Amino acid sequence: MAKFDLTSRMGQYLDRHLVFPLLEFLSAKEIYDETELLKAKLDILSKTNMVDYAIDIRRQLYPKEEVPEELKQRRVHVVAQLQELQQEVEPILQIMGNDEVMKNMENMRDSKTLINFLAKDYNFEIDMIESLHKLAKYRYECGNYSVSTSYLYFCMLVLPPNDKNYLSVLWGKLASEILVQNWESALEDLNKLREYIDSSPNHFGGNSLQLLQQRTWLIHWSLFVFFNHAMGRELIIEMFLYRPHYLNAIQTMCPHILRYLATAVIINRGRRSALKDLVKVIQQESYTYRDPITEFLEHLYVNFDFDGARQKLHECQTVLFNDFFLISCLDEFVENARLMIFETFCRIHQCISIGMLAEKLNMDPDAAECWIVNLIRNARLDAKIDSKLGHVVMGAQPLSPYQQLIEKIDSLAVRSETLVGLIDRKLKARNDIRWGTQEF
Amino acid sequence: MSRFFATGGSDSDSDSSSDEEVVQRPTVPVYTFSDDEEEIKRVVRSTKEKRYEELTNLIKQIRNFKKIKDMSSMLSSFEDLQKAYVKALPVIQKEENGQTPRFYTRCLVELEDFINEMWEDREGRKNLSKNNSKSLASMRQKLRKYVKEFEEDLTKFRANPDMPDDEEDEEKRDPEPDSDSEVPPKATIKTSKPAEGEEGESSSDSDDWPSDSESSSASSEDEDKFQTMRERFLKRNTEKEEDEEKEKKKEERRKERKDREKRRKKEDEEDEEGEWETVKGGMAIPSEKPKMFAKDAEIDLNLVIKKLNEIVAARGKKRTDRREQIELLHELQAVADQHQLGPAVAVKIKFAIISAIFDYNPKVSDAMKPEYWTRLLERMSEMLDMLQNHGDILISESVTEEMERFDEPPYRVRGCVLTSLERLDDEFIKLLKECDPHSNEYVERLKDEAKVSAIIDKVQKHLELHGAQSELCRIYLRKIEHLYYKFDPTVLQQKNGEIKLTVVTSMQEMERLCKYIYAKDGTDRLRTRAILSHIYHHALHDNWFQARDLVLMSHLQETIQHSDPSTQILYNRTMAHLGLCAFRHANIKDAHNCLVDLMMTGKPKELLAQGLLPQRQHERSKEQEKIEKQRQMPFHMHINLELLECVYLVSAMLIEIPYMAAHEFDARRRMISKTFYQQLRSSERQSLVGPPESMREHVVAAAKAMRNGHWGACNNFIINEKMNTKVWDLFYQADAVRAMLTKLIKEETLRTYLFTYSHVYDSISMSTLAEMFELDKSVVHSIISKMIINEELMASLDDPSQTVVMHRSEPSRLQSLALQLADKINNFVDSNERILETKQGNFFLRSANQGAFRGDRQNYRAGNVQDWSRQRRDNRREY
Repeated sequence: MAKFDLTSRMGQYLDRHLVFPLLEFLSAKEIYDETELLKAKLDILSKTNMVDYAIDIRRQLYPKEEVPEELKQRRVHVVAQLQELQQEVEPILQIMGNDEVMKNMENMRDSKTLINFLAKDYNFEIDMIESLHKLAKYRYECGNYSVSTSYLYFCMLVLPPNDKNYLSVLWGKLASEILVQNWESALEDLNKLREYIDSSPNHFGGNSLQLLQQRTWLIHWSLFVFFNHAMGRELIIEMFLYRPHYLNAIQTMCPHILRYLATAVIINRGRRSALKDLVKVIQQESYTYRDPITEFLEHLYVNFDFDGARQKLHECQTVLFNDFFLISCLDEFVENARLMIFETFCRIHQCISIGMLAEKLNMDPDAAECWIVNLIRNARLDAKIDSKLGHVVMGAQPLSPYQQLIEKIDSLAVRSETLVGLIDRKLKARNDIRWGTQEF
Repeated sequence: MSRFFATGGSDSDSDSSSDEEVVQRPTVPVYTFSDDEEEIKRVVRSTKEKRYEELTNLIKQIRNFKKIKDMSSMLSSFEDLQKAYVKALPVIQKEENGQTPRFYTRCLVELEDFINEMWEDREGRKNLSKNNSKSLASMRQKLRKYVKEFEEDLTKFRANPDMPDDEEDEEKRDPEPDSDSEVPPKATIKTSKPAEGEEGESSSDSDDWPSDSESSSASSEDEDKFQTMRERFLKRNTEKEEDEEKEKKKEERRKERKDREKRRKKEDEEDEEGEWETVKGGMAIPSEKPKMFAKDAEIDLNLVIKKLNEIVAARGKKRTDRREQIELLHELQAVADQHQLGPAVAVKIKFAIISAIFDYNPKVSDAMKPEYWTRLLERMSEMLDMLQNHGDILISESVTEEMERFDEPPYRVRGCVLTSLERLDDEFIKLLKECDPHSNEYVERLKDEAKVSAIIDKVQKHLELHGAQSELCRIYLRKIEHLYYKFDPTVLQQKNGEIKLTVVTSMQEMERLCKYIYAKDGTDRLRTRAILSHIYHHALHDNWFQARDLVLMSHLQETIQHSDPSTQILYNRTMAHLGLCAFRHANIKDAHNCLVDLMMTGKPKELLAQGLLPQRQHERSKEQEKIEKQRQMPFHMHINLELLECVYLVSAMLIEIPYMAAHEFDARRRMISKTFYQQLRSSERQSLVGPPESMREHVVAAAKAMRNGHWGACNNFIINEKMNTKVWDLFYQADAVRAMLTKLIKEETLRTYLFTYSHVYDSISMSTLAEMFELDKSVVHSIISKMIINEELMASLDDPSQTVVMHRSEPSRLQSLALQLADKINNFVDSNERILETKQGNFFLRSANQGAFRGDRQNYRAGNVQDWSRQRRDNRREY
């Protein structure tokens, strides 16, 4: 199933640390060769400070070899460096240890008064923030995500948005929140970051390429949040499909994101209206990206090829099963996809045999009948089952012309009335003006 | 769409601008040159010089008129002179302490004398023509008035008429410092001048004199002391002093002076020719030509360069024989080769030859002669080879004349290969346009395309080594423009996997060139053109998605109106090919959208710059016609218009016919394609319709067949022998296109059939339909499903029996009329609301301007009337 695996494509838009969960997931799924995965991990680790972890993996990979001296030295070096940085920002760490001050800080309006306040009472200097930022980064590189979260939170409170480090602080915060799996605040940070990127194109020197890149990164990182947060499914549609900037970024830079968007739309029963827009996008990009999920939609809503859709649905299940982000919504997906097939089917047909339906839905006939009965009982379907012939007969009747006509002219009277009312009022008003100004 | 041509006047085409230059040339005084080297000098010259030059020219004219006694012309010249003098006054004030320049005074004196003489000569005056005598009288009066202002100067001048002699001496002496380098003919002319009297010669010389750049600065110094040291001139008669003085002043300008001297001499000759018609003048020119150098002269680098400068300096002058110039330069080149003066000199001379050949053609709008063209090609490639073989030659516009170095490497030469190349390319296109496209001549010329491309490649190689980014962009664009319209079958073969991916096709080449321009180009124009060419190339090779994405990403559709006409033409061409490409990919809607803009106006020929249509309403002016002619595409780049129109009509048919069938009773129905409707209607108007002959008739006949749901007939009308030869065979993969078309015709006919005849059926079996239209059952199923989902067809499927069950929703006649009426009333209310909305804004402003309100109301009424007429038209169509 490596064919539809997107990890390599996604990896280039993710932080090193964010790739780890993906790789862990892959090794659990055993799609790829284990040693290769380990090598990849080691490669990623080489640029971080997580030396212990690296040593572990080395051991797994080459059980017979000794740990090289270089790594050990590096470990010592890292620890020393950490200490040094820690010393530099000692005052801030003290402030952060003080709960009362922190509470006060949160109530401050803008960063200037905050800085003044801190500088007056706690011998705080603005330069320290720079060091704190460095320390947070260092901590992050070491894998201490929760610590770096709190440091970065402090940075964000103090730094004005036009500071050169602000953007990097935002990114760092988001990454660490994701890695400690604090989805609530991750979502908050995500929104902050998005606003920052969208509202201030000038920060990137008007360079639209850079903006595009930032957005692409944001899209990829946000997947972590969207597929883990309860509200994510709603928000992902909002952001990816209905914000032109992001839709653009997806279309130009990373059409593979369409898989996640499509899945989100499918499992979101309330957003059927988004389907139409999504199908348009999928069709447009079909030449650069296609996978079973987008093809499923295409079969169902462009070609009305139910057999094809059924096949694709089958493939979708394996794809979803092997996708880090989507594995959690596999059941939901299948259920909803079935429903979609069925709904479309019902709209077209007036009489369906249950056996055929069962086949199309990948169910056995009895289960299918049960399923339909449930649907009818829940009043989601206007139909009757003819059990003698084994048919489902739809109950919908087309509008009669009389009704059509009534519908058409229904609102006319009201509209005309308001129109007349408006004109009347205007006429009156005009006459008043005439009297007042004596124009003629 | 005609805006492209309507706005023709103000484009900044390089062609037209150089054209202007040429047009201007005759009006510029004789002393200026269009040569850029000369241009720089002109900048250096002070305003004083310029003014003085003007004055002297006028004075000379007056003198000429004096000789032929043309009083009326003299009068006008005199008036000009007055004006020129007023203009020059500030300079004179500054430079000469308000002293009237001597030559001007002299002119006035002479003029006064002359007029008085004429006046006195009563006999002669009677013989004058009426016009002349009238002019004489007014001249006399004006002069009298005018002279009064200069009374003082005049009396001074009259008191000291010896002065001119001094000046003349000075004049005669001044060649001396240069005599070592002086060319022999000069001396002969000077001495061989007939003794016409001192007066004539001296005056002609002396009034020429101040116009020279070096002398003017000299005289300015002189004249500083003029008032106080009048005797100085007498003193200066001694040679030594004078030499010293002269040396000092002239040192810097010696070289330049020589040129001027030479030129001046020539001019003198010409002037003299005109004035006195002496035999000598005629003799002087041929005597100069054959002798490049004096027989015994030692030919070395400097001499050759000097000679080259000399020849080049004559460039662009009115009376220079251009052919002779080319010959002279060739000769010079031979001499240089003979003495092996190094590659730099050779390159320099080649440059001169190339520009001389460019100059040969006086009108920029006309093409050059073929023989010169071939020569040009040879010289150009020779020069480039030379440059390639000698890597140590630096050619650049930034090298000034002083920095040029010919004697040892690294050589530095002033010039620009790129500009010459661009000019050459333009000339090539002009040449092609001149030829009759259906003649052998055109083919012959077109064979040169390979040569031009080779030259471009050479220049590109050269610039890749030496050039700046902007230059590279320019040369790449040139290359692209020779590349983008050519179809390369290897691209398609590669796409099908028949050729290895490593083979470089034109596609990759384009990709590389365009990407460089996208990244490095600073001017918007080059990038726009590169994008358009890139899209064109993609479309030509069936890369529909890439082409479409490029169009969408570039957002050119929005800004193209603001670009220059030639880019707009390129845009039109690109859209045309994009439409064809979409058609081949069965994207009928996109094809229609791409082509509709071109076709709707009915003059795609003009929009694609493939020929001028005669205009009925307003004749275009000569100039406009010329400009438009310049913009035309050469024939080998043309897009087949019949193909374009056929593709457009067929796509319109495939969209429009099902739509018409579906909305037969819909009051809101709109036309999708006007052109297509026109064709339909014109065929309907005929009482007898014969078998189709032309492409258009075929499409119309097919449309009618389709309307009746007869797909076989429709297919036969679109795809048959005649249409194949006319249209479809023009596609590279014609069979694929035909198969695609058949499939589409089947599908759309099925839709039309269902729309038209659904009310006849209660249910239709899908397998019957599939049989009827020879389509797969799944396709039929998919099409019908789509129609049901989109609520186009009131029906549903019955799965067990595989039939389509129609719902009796088709209204009866009365009901449908009622529905229509409801629709119309809806429309009416809508438009009422809209009107009120638009007026709402006006309402509060109204008290400010009553008049506007009244106008508004009229508009409103007019709008209403239009609305009605439209509705009436709708009605007529329905019944």
